[in-house]
Amino acid sequence: TGGHTTEILRLLSCLSESYSPRHYIFADSDKMSEAKIRSFEQKRSETFSNSQFTLDRIPRSREVRQSWTSSVVTTLYSILYSLPLTYKLKPDLILCNGPGTCVPVCISALLLGLLGIKRAIIVYVESICRVETLSLSGKILYHFSDYFIVQWPDLKKKYPKSVYLGRIV
Amino acid sequence: FRFKDSLAEDLRKADLVISHAGAGSCLETLEEGKPLIVVINEKLMNNHQLELAQQLHRDGHVLCCNCSTLVETLRSMDLSTLKPFPPGQPEKFALFLDKVVGFQ
Repeated sequence: TGGHTTEILRLLSCLSESYSPRHYIFADSDKMSEAKIRSFEQKRSETFSNSQFTLDRIPRSREVRQSWTSSVVTTLYSILYSLPLTYKLKPDLILCNGPGTCVPVCISALLLGLLGIKRAIIVYVESICRVETLSLSGKILYHFSDYFIVQWPDLKKKYPKSVYLGRIV
Repeated sequence: FRFKDSLAEDLRKADLVISHAGAGSCLETLEEGKPLIVVINEKLMNNHQLELAQQLHRDGHVLCCNCSTLVETLRSMDLSTLKPFPPGQPEKFALFLDKVVGFQ
């Protein structure tokens, strides 16, 4: 969604073309991200001729401030949906930055890894908005990601296993 | 401004921006190099939105006030005390990721 998409596209801006094909996954309720992504990829294809990307939508796992119990149900539904998608894409690397949408995808990837089907490296970058506290996605994925990146020093102190590179968006 | 598509044009023309503490608004304004006064409405905001505004204030990039002190702030503000906001460095992320993945 919105800010997350803008941030993730900035993260992608300096990546080489070795990071290809790029598969974007976002919430079905998201109206704006598709346009931003297409615009980004359009500019990219002007520099890199063989640029490849795909777009997929999954059900939104959780609305802002949705209750705990109903969140578990909607997240389970999103996992059921994202499992076949992740299986189909078999990513080598998953890059996510915090919308609830990323949790089912990462859980699906972890399951595929446990089953010996495909092991993906999971890199999570917490939003620049998070200075002192982690988002809910961050709190969950801090324990399940391979690399957890924070953008402010306070978070690095609180979450010692995280990586601090300064502001990267 | 009832839901304009983009405020980018207005932002470029502005001399001073007064905004709520939404991250997108704050960061876009600072990146455009415009002086910013952030008005904090604690009744409306969820706590995590405050974090960024407070940090930006601590670092001297924005002025902060609440609805009732806005006029006073406008009267007594000294915008020259605001520090420029350096851009983020996605190239550092790219370097890190290349190492992680094994592209050197």
